[in-house]
Amino acid sequence: MEFAEFYESARDDCLQIVLLSVGDRQLAEDLVAEGFAKAWVSWRKLRNYQAPRAFVVRAALNANVSRWRRHRREVGLDGHDVAVPAADSGVLSGELLAALRGLPLRQREVVTLRLLLDLDTETTARLLGIAPGTVGVHLHRAAETLRSALPHMARQEARK
Amino acid sequence: MNDDSALGTVRDSLTAAKDNLSETHMDTPLDAIVQRGRETRRRRRLTGVTGAMAVTAGAALAVTTLVPSGQSSSTSGRVASHAPRARLAAWTVDIRANGDITVNVRQLSDPSGLQSTLRADGVPANVTALGHPDPSCQPYPMSQALFTSVYRADKTAASGDTVLIINPAALPSGAGVQIGATVGQDVAGRGLRRADANQAIHRAVHQPAHQVGARNSILRAVLVYASQQCTGS
Repeated sequence: MEFAEFYESARDDCLQIVLLSVGDRQLAEDLVAEGFAKAWVSWRKLRNYQAPRAFVVRAALNANVSRWRRHRREVGLDGHDVAVPAADSGVLSGELLAALRGLPLRQREVVTLRLLLDLDTETTARLLGIAPGTVGVHLHRAAETLRSALPHMARQEARK
Repeated sequence: MNDDSALGTVRDSLTAAKDNLSETHMDTPLDAIVQRGRETRRRRRLTGVTGAMAVTAGAALAVTTLVPSGQSSSTSGRVASHAPRARLAAWTVDIRANGDITVNVRQLSDPSGLQSTLRADGVPANVTALGHPDPSCQPYPMSQALFTSVYRADKTAASGDTVLIINPAALPSGAGVQIGATVGQDVAGRGLRRADANQAIHRAVHQPAHQVGARNSILRAVLVYASQQCTGS
């Protein structure tokens, strides 16, 4: 598959998945663009990859962490001029999504790869460079957090 | 409820949330992605050869510092070496071998000098004092991806200063750059502390003016529609 073909087929899917995680339309687009740019650089190797979309999404999520670290340092220099979301940024809401965004990066990666990109445990483990059992542990913990954020699930828990 | 069932519920909820975004489409064109990829590859290569270049860079710096201010150390057009083409009192403008333009800020004054230099280097540019917008310029609609493909900040290997980098190749047809600086106000005529200059460039690039108000900024960078009146071409 050529990169252009891959980009055309995967761009919207990757954007929607990353948007769920970061909540800001403009930021998500920028992060996904960064992910695709990295995929372009490694395309010769990546074209035979089992899940190139997973590479892009993971690169985008990691870029978000790097960006946050950079921003934190800048704010530390001087307290004013804190960024605010643009009015038309299309910020998503909802307790589930807030809980998803609050997950540690590794758990968010596992949830994204396993539940949104529908990869199996083995492939997810290989992609993240961790043991399959560790994938299971992260997924279990993340699911615990996320299901408590679902209103009807929370009600069921309360009745127990 | 067992683990599998709970996982299924979470999966269904997330999938439903994603389905709600089915009308959200990625606007970034393929060309911008490829351009960004080239920059990424170039940065990686630069990082790889930094050690080997250190001695050469040190020697080049020694030569550069011997060139008196006000003189160009190169008279060729698109410069093959990385020597600064224009050394102004307030700004140093340089063209890199890949066509990127670097702007090193030392003093927030002489906007017209910077504007002329950028235009002479083929960049449709408008440089203004913050708070005094040029009425002939109209903002060009830009996404974050477009903004970061045109502007970025980079730390120079030689001095450790942060420079504003403009990538003219990433400018869409009909667009130009506009740089605003707090000139003629509280910092006019004063040299900038190195940390302040570095921070101003970081802010301009990482907190772009289309996302935050420029109220507390001392430097901002945006895109405008190119026109004879606004950007000179």
